[in-house]
Amino acid sequence: MTATRPGAAADSKAAGTLISAGLSELFTRPQFSIPQDEKQQLLLSEFERMTSQHRIACEPYRKIMDALGAPQSGYTSLEALPYLPVSLFKTHRLSSVPEDQVFKVMTSSGTTGQAVSQVILDRTTADLQSKALAAVMARVLGNQRHPMVIIDTPNVVKDRKRFSARGAGVLGMLPFGRRHFYALNDEMELDLPGLEAFLARHAEEPILLFGFTFMVWQYFLRALTSAGAFPNLSNGTLIHSGGWKALAEEAVGNVEFKSALKEATGLGRVHNFYGMVEQVGSVFLEGDDNFLYPPNFAEVIIRDPQTWEPAPDGTPGVVEVLSVLPRSYPGHVLLTEDLGVVHGTGDPTSGWAGKRLQILGRVPRSELRGCSDTHASDRAGRR
Amino acid sequence: MTTLGQEESQLCDIPRTKRPLHVQEVLPAQRSVDLSEILDRLNQAPVVTPFDQSRTEFIADLSRRLARAGRGLAETQALAYWMRKAEIHRMNVAFSKLESEGFVLMPRGTVFHIPPSNVDTLFVYSWVLSTLVGNRNIVRLSSRATEQSNLIIETICEALVNHRTVADSSVMVTYGHDDSVTAAISAVSDTRVIWGGDVTVNRIRSIPIPPHATEVVFADRFSMAAIGIEAYQSLDTRERGRLADLFFNDAYWFDQLGCSSPRLLLWVGKRDPGPSANDFFSRVRGVAHAKAYSVDTSTAIAKLGQSYSTMIDAEVSGYSAQDNTLTVLDMSSFPDVRGEFCGAGLFYQLHVSQLNEIVSHVRRADQTLTTFGIPEQEITKLVSDLRGRGIDRIVPFGQALRFSRFWDGYDLLTELTRKVTISVRGALG
Repeated sequence: MTATRPGAAADSKAAGTLISAGLSELFTRPQFSIPQDEKQQLLLSEFERMTSQHRIACEPYRKIMDALGAPQSGYTSLEALPYLPVSLFKTHRLSSVPEDQVFKVMTSSGTTGQAVSQVILDRTTADLQSKALAAVMARVLGNQRHPMVIIDTPNVVKDRKRFSARGAGVLGMLPFGRRHFYALNDEMELDLPGLEAFLARHAEEPILLFGFTFMVWQYFLRALTSAGAFPNLSNGTLIHSGGWKALAEEAVGNVEFKSALKEATGLGRVHNFYGMVEQVGSVFLEGDDNFLYPPNFAEVIIRDPQTWEPAPDGTPGVVEVLSVLPRSYPGHVLLTEDLGVVHGTGDPTSGWAGKRLQILGRVPRSELRGCSDTHASDRAGRR
Repeated sequence: MTTLGQEESQLCDIPRTKRPLHVQEVLPAQRSVDLSEILDRLNQAPVVTPFDQSRTEFIADLSRRLARAGRGLAETQALAYWMRKAEIHRMNVAFSKLESEGFVLMPRGTVFHIPPSNVDTLFVYSWVLSTLVGNRNIVRLSSRATEQSNLIIETICEALVNHRTVADSSVMVTYGHDDSVTAAISAVSDTRVIWGGDVTVNRIRSIPIPPHATEVVFADRFSMAAIGIEAYQSLDTRERGRLADLFFNDAYWFDQLGCSSPRLLLWVGKRDPGPSANDFFSRVRGVAHAKAYSVDTSTAIAKLGQSYSTMIDAEVSGYSAQDNTLTVLDMSSFPDVRGEFCGAGLFYQLHVSQLNEIVSHVRRADQTLTTFGIPEQEITKLVSDLRGRGIDRIVPFGQALRFSRFWDGYDLLTELTRKVTISVRGALG
C-alpha cells in the first residue's frame, strides 16, 4: 500500500485529457485559491457550455429549457443560468449519455423517506468526482494518507450491496486514510481501549478522523466525557458532515461543537463539509473561519424564496449549488431544499477564497396538507 | 321518538378478536378503551327514522354552538351555516320527496366513516348527514388534529350532553395504522364511507365489510374551470375583478388542494385567448396579493418541482411565475396532470375552440368543472357527449367548494339509507 492519496499529481493529467482546458485549470490550481471575480469568469464559460451540451444530450432537460424560454447562450452571470429543482432527480431519470455508457446509477433516500434520487454516472463523471473530492481534501489533509479513525461502526460499510447514505459517506472517505480504526461497536458504544491503543501506536503521527456530525457528538464526545476519558487528539484533523438538525435540538452549533472537542481532546483542526448525492465530489469545505467554501469547480448562489432572485449578501435564502462535475446528467445547476446565507467572500491570501457559506438547515416542511394521499375534497364545504 | 328495535344489533356478528384492540375514544368521552367495549355499546344504541326530531334538534343546536365557538374561523362558520336549522328543514323536505307510495327510506344501521388523514371539517359533513338520516356512526379521526378540528370536537361533545340518545349512537376514535382495528369496525358496519386518497381507498378496500354492507368511496379527483373568451372580453373592469375574486375563492381557499378546486383552466372560443388570459391572471394575482395570500418556501419549491416535472411529462409552451402566489403553464395539448399536486396556485391553461373538444381527454377521476360564459347548450352537449365517463359537477365560478349532499356522483342521503318497499295488496287483497 502506498501512502500517496488517490487523485494526486499523477491523476490530474488524466483529468486534463477528459475535459476542456478551463475545467483542467480548475483542478490544477490549488483549491480555494482563485479570487472570486476570476473564478466566476472561469466558471461562467464552462457552465454555459455544459448547459448547451446537456440541452443537446438530455431530452427532458431540453424540454424544460425550451418551456422556460432559456437562451442558448449569452449568459452574462452565473445567476442568470437556469437551474433545476433537485427534486426532479426523484421524479425523473435524467441522463445525458447513451445507456451503454452508464457506469453507475447512484440513489439516495429522499427526505420524505419514499422518494429516491437517481443520479446517472458515466466513467468520466465518476472519475471527475473522485478527483474532485481528492483535490478538496488535499487542502486540509495534504497529500499523505494518515492513520484514520472512523467514528462509526464497521457494520456501516459491511453490506456493500445495500449500504446507507452513511455507509456511502464512510466508503468515500476511506481512501484518504490508512490503518482504519472503527471507534464504535455494533451497539454504537465507544471502543475506548481500542482507541487508546490506536492513539498510542500513532502518537507521533498526524491522525485523520471522520464521522457524521451527530455521531461525533453523541457517540464519541459524549462517551468520552461520561467515561472521564480525555485522549490526546491534538495531532488530529476531523472531517465531519451530515447536518446539524439533531444537534440544534440541543442548542449545539458549530462553535459549541468545536470548543467542546477542543476542550476534551485538544482536537483543533475540525472541518465540516456540505455536499449532496446529486453533486458528489463537489463538496464545500469549512475554512478556518467556520464558513463553508466552494471549491474551484463549484459555486453557490442564495435565492430569495419569494422572487427567486439572487439574495443580497447576508440575507438567508434557498441554496443553489453549481458544479462543473456533472457531465452525464444535467445536475450542474441545482436549486436545493436547504436554507443558507452567504457572508461575502474569503481572502485569497488566507488560503480560503470564494463565497463564505453558512447552511441554516433544511427548508421546513410545509404546513399545507401536501401532495400526499389526502383526499383533496377534504377541504370542501366552504362558501 | 321512534326507535327501531334494539335487537337489530344481533343481526351483526361482532367478531371477537383474540387480543384486545385499544383505541383512543375522542367522543363522546376522552379515554383509552378496548374497541369491543365501544362497538358493543354502539350497536346497542337505537337507530331512529330519518330526520327524527331528536336528530334535527341536535344538529340545529350544534349549528348554533359552532357558529358561536367558531367566530372568526371561516371553515367552522361555513360548516355551521351549512347545517343551520332552516337548511336542515329544506333538506328534510327534499328528502321526503325521495320517498314514494311504494317505499320508505330507513337508516342503514352502523356507518363507519374514514375521513382523510388530515382532520378538518369534512368528517363533520359526512357524520352530520348520516346522523340526520338516523344511523349509528363511528368516525375514525386522524391523530393529527388541528386546532379547528379540536374546537369542533369539543363543541360536539358539549352539545351531546343535552342529547343523550344521539350521544349513544355517536363515537369518534383515533388509532394508529392498525388494520386489525379497521377490520373489527368494518366487520360490524352496514356502510363504510372512505374519503380517499387512492392509496387509502385501496388499502381499506382490502379489508372486508359484511356481505350485506355497502361502501361509499371518494378517490383522488381532478377539477377544471372553463371561461368563454368572448364572454370574458365583453366584461367590464368591475365584472372582471369579480370573476377573479370568485376564481380565487374556488382555487386558493384550501391552497388549491380541494379536489373540486380548479387546476386546469380552459379558454373556450375561436378568438385568441392570449390577452384575456393575461388580463385574467394578472387580476387573480392582484386578488392573491390583496388577500395577502402567501406561500411558504417548501411549497414554493414544490411548485417549481411540479412545474418542471410537467415540462418534461407534457407539452408546455409557456411558463409564467412572476412570484410564488401564481404560476401558469401554457399547455399546447390537453395534459394528463392528474395525481400528485402541490397546490398553492399552480394552473395549467389550454385553449380549445369548443368545450366538447375535451371529451376524449376526460377521465373518470375528473370531478368538477367550474364555468363562466359558456352557453348552457354547450355544457349540456358536453355532459351528453361524455356519457358519464367523467365530471360529476358543473357549477358556476365561486361554487367549486360548496359542499352538498350530492358529491362525486353520489347522493349521500340516499347512500346512507336504504329503500324499504311496501306492497300490501296481495292476490286476495
